[in-house]
Amino acid sequence: MPSAPFSLKLYRFLLKLYPAGFRDDYAGPMECELRDELAESSGPFALTKLWLRLLADLAVSIPLQFSRELSQDVRHTLRLWANRPGQTGFAILALAIGIGANTGVFSVVNALLLRSLPFHDPSRLVSLGTFFPPHSSAKEFHEWTQQQGTYLADAALIEQFDVNLGAAQSPVRAHLSYTSWNFFAVLGAHPVLGRWFCDGEDTPGKNAVAVISYGLWQQLFAGDQRALGSTIRMNGMPLTVIGIAPAGFNYPNKSDLWYAANYSPGNNGWQTIARLQPGITWPQARAAFVVEADRLWPRRDELGNSEHHPKMASLQDELAGPLKNASLMLMAGVILILLIACSNVANLLMARTADRATELSIRSALGASRARIVQQLLTECLLLSFVASIAGLLVAFWTISLATKVQPAPLPTQSYSILDGRVLCFAAAAAIASSVFFGALPSLHAGRAQPSGARVSSSTRDAGLIRQALVAGQVMLTIILLTASVSVGRAFVRVMKTDRGFAAKGLVTVSVSLDGTTRGVAGHQLPYFEEALDRVRRLPGVRSASETEFLPLGATGFVGGPFGFDGHAAKQNSTMIPVSSDYFKTMGGRILYGREFTDAEVRSDALIVVVNERFAEEFGSAADALEHEVTIGKSTPRKIIGVVTGMDYMTDTMDTAHSNQIFVPVHSPGGFVSTFVARVDGRAEDSLPAIRDTIRAVDTQVPVFGVKTMEQRMTDAVARPKFYRTAVLFFAAFALFLAVIGIYSVVSYAVARRTHEMGVRLALGASPAALRRTMLGQGLLTVVAGAIFGIAGAMFTGRFLESLAEGAKSVDLATLISSFLSIALVASASIWAGTRRIARLDILELLRIE
Amino acid sequence: MSSSDRQTANQLTPLSPAFFHILLSLGEGERHGYALKREISRRTNGKLNLGPGMLYGSINKMLALGLIEESDNRPDPHLDDERRRYYRITSYGRKVAQAEAARMRELAQLATATFGSPKHA
Repeated sequence: MPSAPFSLKLYRFLLKLYPAGFRDDYAGPMECELRDELAESSGPFALTKLWLRLLADLAVSIPLQFSRELSQDVRHTLRLWANRPGQTGFAILALAIGIGANTGVFSVVNALLLRSLPFHDPSRLVSLGTFFPPHSSAKEFHEWTQQQGTYLADAALIEQFDVNLGAAQSPVRAHLSYTSWNFFAVLGAHPVLGRWFCDGEDTPGKNAVAVISYGLWQQLFAGDQRALGSTIRMNGMPLTVIGIAPAGFNYPNKSDLWYAANYSPGNNGWQTIARLQPGITWPQARAAFVVEADRLWPRRDELGNSEHHPKMASLQDELAGPLKNASLMLMAGVILILLIACSNVANLLMARTADRATELSIRSALGASRARIVQQLLTECLLLSFVASIAGLLVAFWTISLATKVQPAPLPTQSYSILDGRVLCFAAAAAIASSVFFGALPSLHAGRAQPSGARVSSSTRDAGLIRQALVAGQVMLTIILLTASVSVGRAFVRVMKTDRGFAAKGLVTVSVSLDGTTRGVAGHQLPYFEEALDRVRRLPGVRSASETEFLPLGATGFVGGPFGFDGHAAKQNSTMIPVSSDYFKTMGGRILYGREFTDAEVRSDALIVVVNERFAEEFGSAADALEHEVTIGKSTPRKIIGVVTGMDYMTDTMDTAHSNQIFVPVHSPGGFVSTFVARVDGRAEDSLPAIRDTIRAVDTQVPVFGVKTMEQRMTDAVARPKFYRTAVLFFAAFALFLAVIGIYSVVSYAVARRTHEMGVRLALGASPAALRRTMLGQGLLTVVAGAIFGIAGAMFTGRFLESLAEGAKSVDLATLISSFLSIALVASASIWAGTRRIARLDILELLRIE
Repeated sequence: MSSSDRQTANQLTPLSPAFFHILLSLGEGERHGYALKREISRRTNGKLNLGPGMLYGSINKMLALGLIEESDNRPDPHLDDERRRYYRITSYGRKVAQAEAARMRELAQLATATFGSPKHA
């Protein structure tokens, strides 16, 4: 047990745990009391008893005193706020947006990148991108997986399609994943009912089995256990249900059911996932993978796309895909916003503290210690931060709902949520860090304020410097955000202005799938399409109609190959797009030379094609391509009857480069999906129901889906880049707004502090305009200092912008100059407005008061 | 005691045992913290043994309420220490103590009427 002198020392130390006010008043008497107690307590037993009582007393009284002083400080703060509602409201708003946006974006980053995937040991799961292991047959693939035992414990294949599912009379569309039999074993998932595929169930003859998702189980069987063993029809093919996946398991890409893989040579639509061998490190695994990819190099070369390299990535990163970098960029953006907001609030508080110098001096003279004053100011900051955090929750919820709409999470378990331990900790940390950041400077500054006037001028000078540094920092961050917004905005405008090769306005699209229906049988397809097209074309308001297998912007799969021109191979593979008559007329495409297919040619399967300009120009002038032949392998050559502007088939709207395109006539397109397109008079939305119902009425058993105008598809396709553009634009605008407020407040405060000096100068003959110009010069000096660092920062960060918008990486001179000029202009206006008080100064009145 | 004083004094009742005993002790004269603690402990046969934190917490609150005030006198030179503080009861503190005593008396009378007096009081 502590001896008497040590007890006193220890107690003195423990007294420091009391809040400053209480400590100032009572630490001395309490120490005296302990000394008395110690004098009366002799022997180890008495000392132990005394210390037990003391510790219990400390445990109860410290929190009690804290709550008392806190409530005093809170009341004091609320009174101060009530006196300056505008300033307080602005600070809360700035911080709420900063903290809220940070919390919202962090919840996205948390869901995508930090929260574990719902699989066994997810950190060992990898995706092998642009890599195709041998997969001509199940045997070949599984033999390959066994050979990779040095670095892969197991590997599985996946391929995805949309299919017609259910009864023949009213099939529904469902997302199907073809997988090798070991797919679920690789992920380490367990069925909620039944079993997964067994060894060998991915070979023909044994593969008439399927695993269905929990959602589909509820939808088709209402959760009945008798679903196991029952038969469902996938594109008309009967499959026995052998297992039900657990709720929330719908990997990959919201799959409704899983069916054993259909191996075929040359199919490059497969995705490979694998589990790393236990104990192997990522660098070792990557090295082994590169060796393996090199060994299979000839196969990779068959892709004809040498710019893509095989890549081993964690499954989590692969799932996040482009969302990963975009989310991290947005995170960086919102952190900048929070920093700017904090600088601004720090600036406001510095000014407010300076205004309260008299009050603080009086309190100091009345015995309040520096610690007590700092404690009061920090409480004020924490309260500000707390209220802003509560308001920020609204901003966070709004951010999350927007993110869910624009960039939904790949897995249900990755849903964005604030109610997550990590997100809540982040929000609390952001709030506390903010309050420390914006509260530290004013508090330290106030703590140094002494009742004597001697230090006032130097402390005021220090405060002025700190405030100018804060403004310069704000200008720096604002320039970074401004250049980013200009860069991303310009890239987006480029995307919107890109010629996609068709006219979206007035275009209606409706998809059907004949798979598994009685119409899907050979010989029944042509009558269906002819009748449907005929009925649509006869509808009032429909100018023209056609059909195609792949729709621009929304194509989920392609067929194509190494097409040549009169026997000469093209440099790149070409995409083959089956279309019907009147396709280019309906789509608003541009026929540069020749013509498009006629009804008769489509019906007779004529050996003709229409090529895009890019393909034709590879072999000379596009105009000369007519009457030449397109060739592929040993197939019969097809005559070129038209050259058109290529259409944008990529689902990624940022990727605006058109590939080689070969349009072939087909009367019943439908290898993947058949889509009717119709050009209508008036608003396309108004014609949607009539066209949909007309096509549905041709045969009610054929599922009709994808009922959208082309403009809606366009909007959907650009939703993500548009969201990023809007977000960055908002960041920049908000930063600029805060910078304006910051600059204005610093200048107007400086004018208020220097009123006497201004009065003397005016009395000595200076004109108000000259004084204002001097202030303008001084203010702009701070802005320029910040801008120089900002430009350096913008050049550094510019290269990361690519993840938000293709082509946004280059922060060019024009962008930098325009950002600098705009902030200089806005700053000048703020400074000029801040100095308007000088013009109104009445010298006589001023000198009389002095 | 004016009616308004009585009203505010009544508003503070019931007092916490610590407050009441501090007022009782100070009713007999000025005391410093440790003397108060010892007096209260003696009065309650050790049942109320206030630690320094609770004692000065109560004193702090009672000063804010105006029940007691700090005294400049140092009547006990043996124990004097420049950091030691002495306190005395205010007239308002007396009124509040009286109000509390009256409240307790009424309560005791009610208890006696209901349960009778203990045989071995």
